[in-house]
Order: sequence, then C-alpha cells, then structure tokens
Amino acid sequence: MAALVEMRNIVKIYPNGVVANNGVNFSVERGEIHALVGENGAGKTTLMKVLYGLEHPTSGEILIEGKPVHFHSPDDAIAAGIGMVHQNFMLVPSFTIAENIVLGKEPTRRGLLDKAEAIRITEELSRQYGLKVEADAVVETVNVGMRQRVEILKTLYRGAEILILDEPTAVLTPQETQDLFRAVRKLVAQGKTVIFITHKLREVKEISDRVTVMRNGKVMGTLPTAEATREGLARMMVGRDVFLEVNKPPVQRGRKVMEVQDVSYVSETGRSMLKGVSFNVYAGEILGVAGVEGNGQTELVEVLTGLRPAASGRVLIDGKDILNRTPREVRLAGVAHIPEDRLTNGLALTASINENVIVDRYYNKPYRKGLLIDYKQVNKLGEALIDEFDIRTPSGLLPVSSLSGGNMQKVIVAREFSFNPHILIAAQPTRGIDVGATEFIRDQLVRKRTAGTGVLLVSADLAEVMSLSDRIIVMYEGEITGVFPNAQEVSEEELGLYMLGLKRQTPEEMEAYL
Amino acid sequence: MKILRIPAVREFLRILLAVVAALLLGFIITLLVSEDPIGAYKAFLTGPLSKFNRFGDWLEESITLIFVGLAVAVAFKSKQFSLGAEGQLLLGALVSGAIALFVPLPGILRIPVALLAAAAVGFIYGWIPGYLKAHLNANEIVSTLMLNTIALKLYDYFLIFHIKPPNAGYNASDFFPKAGVLPSFVPPFMGEIYTRFSQQTNVTIMLYIMIAAFIAAYYMMFRTPFGYELRMIGANIKFANYGGINTKRTIILVFAISGIFGGLAGAHLAMGIHTKLIMNISLGMGFEGIVVATLARNNPLFVPLAGLAYGYLRAGADVMERASDVSREMVLVIQAIIILLVTAEGLLPVIQQRVAARRSANGQNAAALEGGENG
Repeated sequence: MAALVEMRNIVKIYPNGVVANNGVNFSVERGEIHALVGENGAGKTTLMKVLYGLEHPTSGEILIEGKPVHFHSPDDAIAAGIGMVHQNFMLVPSFTIAENIVLGKEPTRRGLLDKAEAIRITEELSRQYGLKVEADAVVETVNVGMRQRVEILKTLYRGAEILILDEPTAVLTPQETQDLFRAVRKLVAQGKTVIFITHKLREVKEISDRVTVMRNGKVMGTLPTAEATREGLARMMVGRDVFLEVNKPPVQRGRKVMEVQDVSYVSETGRSMLKGVSFNVYAGEILGVAGVEGNGQTELVEVLTGLRPAASGRVLIDGKDILNRTPREVRLAGVAHIPEDRLTNGLALTASINENVIVDRYYNKPYRKGLLIDYKQVNKLGEALIDEFDIRTPSGLLPVSSLSGGNMQKVIVAREFSFNPHILIAAQPTRGIDVGATEFIRDQLVRKRTAGTGVLLVSADLAEVMSLSDRIIVMYEGEITGVFPNAQEVSEEELGLYMLGLKRQTPEEMEAYL
Repeated sequence: MKILRIPAVREFLRILLAVVAALLLGFIITLLVSEDPIGAYKAFLTGPLSKFNRFGDWLEESITLIFVGLAVAVAFKSKQFSLGAEGQLLLGALVSGAIALFVPLPGILRIPVALLAAAAVGFIYGWIPGYLKAHLNANEIVSTLMLNTIALKLYDYFLIFHIKPPNAGYNASDFFPKAGVLPSFVPPFMGEIYTRFSQQTNVTIMLYIMIAAFIAAYYMMFRTPFGYELRMIGANIKFANYGGINTKRTIILVFAISGIFGGLAGAHLAMGIHTKLIMNISLGMGFEGIVVATLARNNPLFVPLAGLAYGYLRAGADVMERASDVSREMVLVIQAIIILLVTAEGLLPVIQQRVAARRSANGQNAAALEGGENG
C-alpha cells in the first residue's frame, strides 16, 4: 500500500537564493506520529510549508495516497485533508474561541453568524478529541496552551486528517506539554496522522513512532524511534558528536556579588507579581531559578536589569544599590543580561551583527574617537566575536535577521559575555535554539561561572536548570518557596511539587541557604 | 551579468524600471486627455530644461525639497513619524524674514543671524513634540499636526498684524532689503555667469548650505554615537532601551534636529525664493518631505537625488500645465501615479529573483546564511 504522504525529490530555492530543501524524500504512514527533527535552518519548516501549499517547490512531487497532487495554496492542502498549526499562532485575539474555530467556514442563520451553533460545534469537537477549551472565552484572555488547542481544533474542524505541528512545545510549560502529548495520542487513536516538528530530542523519544532527521536541506535518514538514541539523533542533526550532558568542575563559591533584598513589583494592572523576593548570588556559582512560567520570573529578571521599576526593595552589586536605575547604570555596575525574548529585547534584527554587539559600549573608547564612532574598531570587535563565539555568518556587516535562531542567540551571548560582567543574568538562554548552539551556550555559561562570574539562570526547561545549576531556588506566585543548596541532590519530582505550589519551605528553613 | 549582484545596482535598476513604467502609464493618461499628447508630454519631460529660468525654478524647488526631505528622513529613520516639517518651515520663514526685514545689521551679519535663528526656531519647535512623545507618550502624528496648525496661524497673525506695511492692500511684507536677501550661489567676479544666474534664477548660497546639510546629516546618522542611538531606536526601541541607550533623550533630540532642517527650508523660501513674506508661503511643502525621504529610503545621502528627481517632476508638471492643454488636475494625477509606482517597494522583484536563481545555479549555496527557514 502506498504511504499516506510521500514527498519526492523536493527542491526549494527561495528568491533570495537560499536553498532550503535540496532533494528531500519524506514519507508518512497513516496513523503514525512522525517526528521531523533538525537544527534551525535545516529546512523542516520549509518542507512542511511546501506540503501545506504555502510554498511552491522549485521541483519535486507530492503524492497523497499514491496520487500526485499540486497544491497552489493552503486551501488545496486543506481540501486534501492536511492541516498545519504554525509556531506563531494565527488567531484573531479579540474573537472568542468558537468564532476563531469556525472562521472561514462559519455556520450561519439568516445570513448572520450563528454563535450558538459555533459554540456547539466547538464543544463537540473539544469533547471528541479531548482538547479542553472554553468556547466562549476571548482568545487574548486565555493562556498559550489553550490557544494552541484552539489552533488544533480549527484544523480538525476543517477536516484535517494529517496534522502538521510546527514546534508545538516551544511555547509550552512542562505540564502543558504533557497535556499536548496526551491529546496527540488521542488524535492518533482516532485515526489521524501527526507530523511533529521539533528539535527537542527528549520529545522525539517520548511521543513519536518514527523520526526523520534533516540537516542542511537534506534528509539524513528516517528510522523507527525505538531504534534511535538521543546521542545518535544529535549526531545525525549536527554532523558530529554532541555532549548532551553538562560537564562542570566542582563549585568554587566566592564572594557575594549580588544581594537581592525584599524586592516587590506590582504590574501596571495592579497585580502583585513579586512579593518580597530575597536571595544572594555568589561569584563562581550558577543559581538556577525554577518555576512554571508566569510565576514572576520574567518580572524578576526585568526588575533586576532596570527594565521595569520595582515597588520596593534593594539590589546590591558589590555593595552598590542598582534597583530602579537605568539599564545603562545597571550594566555599568557589571550586570550582563541575556533576555528571555531575544527578538524583542536582545537584538535589532535589521541592524548589522557588528552594530548589535556594540550597544553597551559604542560610546566608550576604543569604539568612540572624538565625535565619531570608529567603525574600524567596531568591525574588528565584530570579527573577533564572530570567531570566538562561532557565529555562522559570512560577515559581521550582515543584518542579524540573516542568521538562524541559534546564531542570533550567540550574538547576544557574545555581547553579554565579552564585557566581563560580575554577574550574568541569563533568562531562557537556550529556548528555541538548536542542539549545537544549545551545547555551545551551556558550555559558555559553565565556563564563565568557573572563571568566577556569578550566574543567575532562569529557565522553563527544568532539565536545563537541574543540569547547569549549583544551587536552585523555586518561584511560585511571585515568591521563593524553596531553596536547594545542592542541585545534584534534588529530584525532578520534588522540584515539581514546589513549582506547582503543593509544597513550600518556611522562611526559617530557607534563610541559611538563600 | 555579475554587476546585477551589487545591491545598489539592483536598487537603481528597480527605480529606473519603476520610473519607466510610471512614465508610460502617465503617457497613456495624457493620450486620453490631450489633443496633442506628444507635445504635452514633451513639455512635461523636458520642460524644466527647456529654458534657463525654468532650470532655475527646478533647482530652487529642489533645494526646499531636499531640506524638508532631510527633516523627515532624520525623524523617520528612528521611526518617529513626525509630520512637523511644515510648522517648522513656517516659523523658520517667519523668524528669518523678520530678521531680514527689521534687524539693522549689514548683510554679512544679518544673513547668518537670520539663518541661525531659523535653525534655532526649528530646533525648538521640533523639541516640543519630541518632549511630548518621550515624557507624556503623546502620539507624534497628532501633536505635530496640531503644532503645524499653531505655526500656520502664528505666521498669519504676525504677518497680517505686525509685519505687513500698515496701509498695504495685500497680505504680504515689503520686499526684503538687499542685506536680507540670500546672495546668488555664483560669486560676482564670475562675470557673465553671475549675471545670468542672479538675474534669471533664485539659486542662492543655500545650495552650499544644502550640500553641507546633507553631508552633515549623513555623518550624524551613520558615524556618530547619536546617529547610532537614533538608528537603533528606529530598528528596535526595546533593544535600544535594554542596551542602555537613553531613549527619551535621543527621541527628543531626533525631533529637534529634524526641526533644524525644517527651519532652514523656511529660511530658503523666505530669503531665497520669495524675498518677502507672503500668505501661503508653504502650501504643504513640509509634507512633500515625506515623499522625498521615502524615495531616498531615509538615507541622507540619497535625499539630494530624490529631491532633484521629485523637484524635476514638479517643475515638469508646472511647464506641462502652462504649455499644453492638459489641465492642472490631470497633471497632478500623472505626477501622483509616478510617485506611487516609484515608492512601491514590492514592484519588479523579477530582477532579484533572476539574480538569486543564477547564484544558486552556480552552487554558491547560501546555506551558510541559514536564512531560509523560520523554524
């Protein structure tokens, strides 16, 4: 019997000359969960866009159940039973969930939208596939996990038999990820087929039946997941051996570099997001902050780096209070910051790589010469950092937007590491970037720490916090609810209980270890 | 065809093709509305060069356009959508005109003082919406439009009640005395050339100031720390803030410096072209700066070229209107269509695609850039 989907010799060359797919063969059997993995820029998303009719292949053919098809637009693909959930959701934020689901194929009564019917349809779909949503809630008020379920239901409503999920877990918390996996299994049990794009190898092992690995626009191989190892997959993706486990020398704790005392923050809407947070960071250690996203970690980092005003408290860097100072004053006190959202805060995409690495130093010697910026020095710095931090680009004069996600993150890391900070605040430093770059960045973090920098690591990836940190604190609803002085001695389950607020230590218990 | 790979060449070709397409379209419209379409279109295309004084008109107008284009480019480059050039221009004209008329200094002093005053008033009048934006989060589009109205009414008020001769039957000042008029850009010792230019055109030393202005603007934008701050705010203001740039101070300065160019454009209108203050001295000239800046992609280096090109179109349209049976309205329609096509950035991507295909055929695969996938 023919495969459900078969893509043969797909070649895709973008107008700007980038060869995204170079003779790709890819096939999916009915009823399987097929993981598609590869580093950023390997061509996964492009291949799926071709299958979904968003991109036209330069050459090659697509067969559905053995019959050749030509998709001119996503409408054709949808008609053939293919649905795609994009990485960035495509919902109307001000519409209700039910309205979003029926959009484009609305039930009507006397020419008007039949809202009751839309809600009935939504609830029916929700029950059938076990994807819980509130049909009458407005999309902008619900969390990311539910928005994703809405996207999936939307494709199911349009009759999708084959679902393409593009990095669906990138935006989810560990709990939400588990919910998603349950839903995916249920979909498959009901006869659907799922193509799952990811670069998290743990997820591949956990959810998929078969896995296809891509690298540089080519397929490196397809194999049953049961026969694959994480190390083996990583090697196929990157093309060399990758060390997934972090190797770090024992901690050499030095002086106190950052004292956070009783810091509170109230959001613009009046919600108390940080409630008297206190802790210290020492030179030569990595202090990990664990917690389900949205429990004040983002606010903590932005308050500490001068991006948000705190309501009260003190933050001492080597004895000097930096709370509620400008970002420049905080930087001058020796605080580096790898921001959580690199595209929003960390980079100016249209500016060149070189101009992105000088934002904290352009006004000082040697980059400033009299009234002008000395671009010779700037370019020299750029070339040196590109070399040292292995940023893959032909030139530092190119815009950052020409880089892959992992290399963009390396630009930030290069800038923040190269000014020799006393303390480094890293928020989600490896989120959404590929295996090779993740390994590199983790290695750099450990090196900085071993060289005597204090590191505050905030990550939603529990495995990352546990493997990198020397000491861990847990945040829950704007408070520190637990501290674990020896990160090696705490289990994932134990941390999970604190993260969900089911367990907490008393201030007395914590005092000695903060 | 290696030359096609240079971005500047591609950009130039793109604009050239857009202009040709636009001119063809314009000609089709002329065919529909004129009895003598070829004559009319010829007047449009060659008009500004057909007589010496028309050539002068073109240059004069272009200088104003270049100043307002610089004003807009500086603001837009940092994504501050200031529409305040009109108001700055009017106050620049008013203040420089008043000094040209009433301050009893010899020309060698009176003119620099008037120019400096025009620049200063533009700076201050730009500073206001900058401050409102930075500290009170006032939308700059609204605030600059309101400030334009205020400037226009102040201009009219001072002209009617304080500047025009008390018993004159018209709303205009006296002609400026010689000490208040900008001298021709050709020095007097050049003999015949001097006579020709100074008698038939109003191309003044403002030409040199314009050249200095666009070079200064270019260096400021691309070589100074302030220019870096300005561009980073334009690229991503959150990044600028995160990186430690004082975004409020920079935004205020961007508006104020943009105002300098607006004020100088006003001085040029008053002391160079009209040599008196009249009602409706601007007629929306400040807004034409948006077209010029857009054509130049907000790069001061390209503003003179864009200003000359747009000035040529405007001058050609004037000639066409006077020399043919095509009505002013249709002339403006043709002119607008041309601008529309030239500023449409997505037009004619064909060339780019062809170059890209050739490049990948050569096996120079751009995977090194890893830019093809968002995943």
